[in-house]
Amino acid sequence: MKKRRYFLVVLALATIMTAGIGRAWAYFTTYAQAYGGKTIHLGDETEITESFSAETKHIQIASEAGSEPVYIRVKAFAGKDYTENGVIDHTPVGSGEDWTEQKADGFYYYVKPVEGGSSTSVLELKIPDLKGRENKDPLNVIVIYESTPVRYDENGDPVGYDGVDWNETLDRHEITAPVTPAAPGSGEGGSEG
Amino acid sequence: MKEHKKTVIPSWGVVLMFAAAVLLLFSGSIGGARAALTYYSETYTSRVQMYDIGVTLLEQGEHDQEPKAVSWRNYDARADGTWDEAQEEKGYKRLLEGMLDEDAGESLKLGKTYREELKVQNTGTINQYVRVSIYRYWLDEDGNKLQTLSPELIDLHLVNLDTDWLEDTAINEVTRERTVLYYNKLLLSGEETPLFADSLTIDDSIAKKVSEQKVTEGGRTTITTTYDYDGVQFQIEVEVDAVQEHNAEDAVWSVWGRRVKVENNTLSLQ
Repeated sequence: MKKRRYFLVVLALATIMTAGIGRAWAYFTTYAQAYGGKTIHLGDETEITESFSAETKHIQIASEAGSEPVYIRVKAFAGKDYTENGVIDHTPVGSGEDWTEQKADGFYYYVKPVEGGSSTSVLELKIPDLKGRENKDPLNVIVIYESTPVRYDENGDPVGYDGVDWNETLDRHEITAPVTPAAPGSGEGGSEG
Repeated sequence: MKEHKKTVIPSWGVVLMFAAAVLLLFSGSIGGARAALTYYSETYTSRVQMYDIGVTLLEQGEHDQEPKAVSWRNYDARADGTWDEAQEEKGYKRLLEGMLDEDAGESLKLGKTYREELKVQNTGTINQYVRVSIYRYWLDEDGNKLQTLSPELIDLHLVNLDTDWLEDTAINEVTRERTVLYYNKLLLSGEETPLFADSLTIDDSIAKKVSEQKVTEGGRTTITTTYDYDGVQFQIEVEVDAVQEHNAEDAVWSVWGRRVKVENNTLSLQ
């Protein structure tokens, strides 16, 4: 008897609840959806090619295919016997197209963005006064170059090489990795980054 | 052997409740019965107006010559229970197709403001109220959502706020990923809303965010630096909802779960 009474109560409640469903379905509604996105490609790999002939250093930097466009700047150093302050202060010669004159910071700037898969023109730096000095140290020209991603304004035009913050610091955060114990017999370690 | 029979008599309360339930069930069908045609004449002609609801999302990207329908869902004019709906396999339901001229090798430029104009059209035969839900998020190469990357760096620039579109701050404060806008006017059949977005910019600060991993092996430490946003995909998702004009306050509450006030065809959030 008790079971039957429960059954009737449940049946009554279910009937009352289903009576309200019809109202909720009665509204006219519809919807439309769409989505889309693009993949971000960051990072660049560049490679320098150097050669020396006729007292001139030839420098060209290539960007690998797939790299994002970058600006490039170059500085060259030599021993004190060849320069006043260690920095070669000669302006580019020959085919130094699109390279600036040396700036106060000692760098030569390539004024165009270097797209992935393309190269700068050749920067030629003539080493000054090689023959006019006695007891010279062996000639050793060191070239360093830096690249930084091209930035764009809101119209999509590249911000010029002189508008880029070459000293911009990255927003770094460290991710942990398992530490591998030192191999037996290994000496004192160095570090590189 | 003596047989004992016992009659079960339910209480009056249960009987009354059951009777009420049966009564409600029958009264629920009265509305349908009322709709039946009770009079007709063989010589009588009439023009039948179907009450169909429909809505369409319109987009004009950077390289689009004019706004185009990217997604829609319209009740079929035959009123046979079917819907005319944009098909993904036919190239619809896709946003940002006109953002880049990829055939010409154009690549995405961080910091550039791309045209991305979005609006809604009422493509049904009845007037309606509409709302728009916008989702911004990042996906990895496998299509998994990346919760640690910031949706704010996907800057879909919203326009006509307050004048035409109301931002549901109650929802928008809860989640950075979702933005909900309500069109504050009645959208008449065939008409379009003003834009709710006009441009899209990917913040160039993503190019500065890197992760460093130090691995020590054999007493030697190697530091590997990787861009957090390299290879990931930003994603914009837009959903348009439409609801009937009549009894709009109850309809919005019932269907969207949001209390609104409608006065003189103007919708406000409560």
